[in-house]
Amino acid sequence: MKMTPIYEGSHRWIMFGRDTNKPSNIIDTNQYIVRTANRCLLMDPGGIELFAPMLAAVLHHAPVEEITDLFASHQDPDIISSLGLWDQALPKAKLHASSLWEGFIRHFGCESIDYVGIPDNGGKIKLESTELKIIPAHYLHSSANFHIYDAEAKILMSGDVGAALEASGAPIYVDNFDSHIDHMRFFHQRWMPSNQAKRDWIERIRKLDIDMMAPQHGRIFKGDNVKRFLDWFEGLEVGIAV
Amino acid sequence: MTDTVQQTKSQFVAVASIAAELSAVMEVAKEISLAAANAKAIAFRAGEKARGFQPITDFINELAKETITLVNAINEHALLLYRLTVNEYRTSTAFDKFQTATKMAEGAQYQSSLQTSTEAVEQRMRECRKQFKRHVGQLLDQLQEVMHPARAARVIAANSRIEASQAGEYLLSLQAVAESVDRAAQIIHNNVQRCRSALNVINITE
Ligand SMILES: [Fe+2]
Ligand SMILES: [Fe+2]
Repeated sequence: MKMTPIYEGSHRWIMFGRDTNKPSNIIDTNQYIVRTANRCLLMDPGGIELFAPMLAAVLHHAPVEEITDLFASHQDPDIISSLGLWDQALPKAKLHASSLWEGFIRHFGCESIDYVGIPDNGGKIKLESTELKIIPAHYLHSSANFHIYDAEAKILMSGDVGAALEASGAPIYVDNFDSHIDHMRFFHQRWMPSNQAKRDWIERIRKLDIDMMAPQHGRIFKGDNVKRFLDWFEGLEVGIAV
Repeated sequence: MTDTVQQTKSQFVAVASIAAELSAVMEVAKEISLAAANAKAIAFRAGEKARGFQPITDFINELAKETITLVNAINEHALLLYRLTVNEYRTSTAFDKFQTATKMAEGAQYQSSLQTSTEAVEQRMRECRKQFKRHVGQLLDQLQEVMHPARAARVIAANSRIEASQAGEYLLSLQAVAESVDRAAQIIHNNVQRCRSALNVINITE
């Protein structure tokens, strides 16, 4: 599992992904952590297959007792099917995930972890002095879906929005936006169901100060590429299967 | 995959096949109870000629009821075994993954922080295992018990045949009843035997 620090300030962001040992028939995912002095948040911790390498990688940055928070952008297996294992590994942790999905996500196993339901209008996660905003992104692609915005680091963790499907071992950052579009087009057209939800999200996201947009698959968008993505996404017709 | 994970997989199969056998036993026990009611009606019509047959039908009915009660108790026990198996599967999978992660985290600053959770999960896994073994023993005893009414039913079925032979024109119907009781008791006997061997398979694989 490759570990890439993407922000160093009063707290740190680290991206985990490009796992060379993962079975080739499961989709490649990016996991992110926010590390403060004594706490650690895991965002979209991933699937069961990825649990051991992910945990091993996180142990380079935090001891299990300081992994106090998990966040699931939505209910998908590539996002959170490892929950039943984290549940037995972390002595005291909370899972922040949509209230709407609670009864579903609990199927993955959630006995000792405290399920903190996120209401439809979002909320926040506080890690010591660091405050992260939970931004609604409903229907993108899941009916109850959230992103994480860090105003200090100016990072938006955007779940499946901005995802790209490409060969394993691709670079961490988008270098050429125009050629990257080819890896994103089908994913967004087919997985994202609603043009209305898309427009609403773009409008809200444009008001945020974002240096980096970090999706759960593919590459991170930096600087102007964030704006390019929003413009491209705005013009894209989604929900094409019907 | 460790032996424990493999073990829980065969436990799932065993518990599922017990559940299937038991529901078949239940069906058959209900059939017996129906046959007893039937026989009672015939014996009633046959009157004097089937006098010896009447207490037998009551007895058959009792046996069927007893079987149903026993099977219900066994079912509850099997459900408990299933829950224990789920827990054992869950903990043994976690134990496996924690060990893999610890190996992969070689040299990581916080590698040892996982130790407490690993030990706790191992402890829970062993506890499930222990409880499972205890309950399998109890279940085997219960299965032994359920064989008794089935065996008794077969003896009674043999008696019924003799009684039926004195029932004149009712001979054929009463004989048919005796035969169906005998057949049902045999099915129960076989199913229960299969349950026992399914359980013994898990006992042996330890
Ligand atoms: Fe998804
Ligand atoms: Fe995804």
